[in-house]
Amino acid sequence: MKSRLAIALLLLAILLNACSNGPSAEQSSSNAAAKPNETVNLKFMYWGSNEEKKAVDGMIKSFNDSHPGIKVTGEQVPGDYNTKMNTLMASNELPDVAYLPDSLASLWGEEGKLLDFTPYLKDNASLQNRLPLSFYYSAPGKPVGNATAAEVMVIYYNKDLFKEANLELPPAEASKAWTWDQFLEAAKKLTKDKNGKNATDPGFDPQNVVQYGFSFSTDRSSWGPLLASNGADITDASGTKYTMDSPEAVQVFQSLQDLIFKYHVSPNLTQQQNLPNNNILLQTKKVAMVIDGTWSLLDMSQTKMNYGMGVLPKFKEPKTMYISGASIIFSTTKHPKEAMEFYQFHNNPEQVDLYKIGLWMPVETQYYTEQDKIDSWTKNDAHPPEFKTAAIDYTLNNTVVSPSASLKNYPAINAKLAPALDLIFTNKKPAKEVLSDLKQEIEPLLSGKYPDK
Amino acid sequence: MKSGPTGLSRLERNWGILFALPPILGLCIFTVGPVIASFFISMTDWTIGSSWTFTGMDNYKTIFTEDPLFAKSLFATVYYSIGSIPLGLLLAFLVAFLLNQKVRGLSVFRTIYYLPAIVPSLANTMLWIWIFNPDFGLLNAVLKAAGLPTSQWIYGESTAIPSLILMSTWGIGNSVIIFLAGLQGVPSHLYEAVEVDGGGAWRKFIHITVPSMTPTIFFNLVLSLIGTFQIFNEAYIMTQGGPNNATLFYVFYLYRKAFTESKIGYASALAWILFLIIMVLTLVVFKTSSKWVYYEEGGKS
Repeated sequence: MKSRLAIALLLLAILLNACSNGPSAEQSSSNAAAKPNETVNLKFMYWGSNEEKKAVDGMIKSFNDSHPGIKVTGEQVPGDYNTKMNTLMASNELPDVAYLPDSLASLWGEEGKLLDFTPYLKDNASLQNRLPLSFYYSAPGKPVGNATAAEVMVIYYNKDLFKEANLELPPAEASKAWTWDQFLEAAKKLTKDKNGKNATDPGFDPQNVVQYGFSFSTDRSSWGPLLASNGADITDASGTKYTMDSPEAVQVFQSLQDLIFKYHVSPNLTQQQNLPNNNILLQTKKVAMVIDGTWSLLDMSQTKMNYGMGVLPKFKEPKTMYISGASIIFSTTKHPKEAMEFYQFHNNPEQVDLYKIGLWMPVETQYYTEQDKIDSWTKNDAHPPEFKTAAIDYTLNNTVVSPSASLKNYPAINAKLAPALDLIFTNKKPAKEVLSDLKQEIEPLLSGKYPDK
Repeated sequence: MKSGPTGLSRLERNWGILFALPPILGLCIFTVGPVIASFFISMTDWTIGSSWTFTGMDNYKTIFTEDPLFAKSLFATVYYSIGSIPLGLLLAFLVAFLLNQKVRGLSVFRTIYYLPAIVPSLANTMLWIWIFNPDFGLLNAVLKAAGLPTSQWIYGESTAIPSLILMSTWGIGNSVIIFLAGLQGVPSHLYEAVEVDGGGAWRKFIHITVPSMTPTIFFNLVLSLIGTFQIFNEAYIMTQGGPNNATLFYVFYLYRKAFTESKIGYASALAWILFLIIMVLTLVVFKTSSKWVYYEEGGKS
């Protein structure tokens, strides 16, 4: 009996030991990796389409080939990236370098979870000379990462539809941006019912529209830049006072509501949710103009259509919004130096072809200001001639940063904001009423802004 | 060592425990451990990526006193459950009853009714997104053809949950199978007794079939109660909780708190409240079951 119990315990001990051996074996191998002259292993995590995966795989391969001491393994995360990152953070199994959604990058930057770039800045010119808006800071003067790419909102349109309607193309220079009325006029003329009448004709049938003048999504990417253009914002400059009930903000949202329900030049929220991607909408002539990010150039260029790119209409000032995920290094990395080397490689336009195919715009300023550098990524079929003014100059001169990156507690704020704005975009209530009712819900959630320099 | 079980049974007992250890350990490590941990986490203000402090019952207090979305999500979930459970049970019972008749092509019908249950839930929701499409969906096309007014379905604030209830009837296949098994277990001598007494089909159904089926109904009721309170996919894939939070189901709200807002402490508290709600409801069903569930052998529930 005793001996049998002993055998049983022994077996149990072996079992448990086998289990606990897994991680400790891994531990020792990564310790070994830290020794000089041995390979340093880094993990890089990112999201994106298969197109992006191909480009990223190529980038990682050329990095590994040119850096014999470092081996980067890439992991594309399909599905809900936020959930994955939160889980990894909670269980402390973070990768070394990763993409992060802007709100998480700001939050974790402030919490000290991201590697401080300050000591690396002075030795690396490519880190210093980046677009000011692309930086994330843990505290004033302490950068902890950049946007992966620079992306702003623009107008895409189908040129053929403008020719058919005998209309001037949307302006591609910020200084010549359409006023809201000019824009509305064009949208009306581009909206057609099944009898071929446009929205300015008498007898236009709004119930049977076959071609809409304009389509927009209902999140910050559409109304964000327009708010900025009218001098309005979700909060005041300190990020502690709700200001979406200002007359300027109300005007923006009322104008958007009117596009759908008064002038019938845009599909309503329900139709919007069931529409295909913007490139298909334009190609199939369901819609003449859409608002979308510069990243959509990739999709647009893959259709055979005759598309063009323009700046957004303005209320007061021509403005667009900088919307992009972040790339960061987690402060838990064991190899910050190597991670930093990879970091600078991973969004270097000379190494990644995502710039040339239209998905990304560089974050280094020289790619916006020096002609040969500009040509290096824009002189190709994917980038239309107006790209220089409608995207490059627009990004440099007319950009505000997205509230999802700048405003603290944005996910919680958006959880209140989005359902309320649904009321506007489904015509349940006028914009003014919704926006003043929102004050009491949003104001308790406001806790300031993240540092922006 | 001197008395008690013989050597062989001792041997069996000891080795039995050893062989049962993997699932026991699995349960402890992967279920009981996290459950206890989540209770502890629910009493902290932990936001993922930040340091946390122990806040006692604060999360629970906030949920009950300051969180309008808690009430809203609970309402959406209860509304959905109250709609879909009775409807699902009734339909499943009816279908099982029909499938229990001796008709031609029975196996074809059985296959047809069970088919949706083996379609992955994700594929199912994608399919229904199309069916519900207000412009070119199947449902509105049928309504239009019949000259009836169309609906916004899942895109309308008031029609969203009824639409999802309608969709839930698609997945009754599993309940049907269980009911069918129950129906086939109804002893035939009871039917014969009714026939001898001159009772018709209706009497057979009301006095024999239904009472004999109460244990199966009870089982299906408990299962669907637990299932519907955890509805998630529909909100996550089809509606994102909208429009205007109409389909903000409890588990979806919890998920959003935990993984969009990173507020894991608060989300754990929400999870515990859901656990208590489901437990209480299940207990109530169990307690009342002695009043309406009939066991042929005279067994007590």
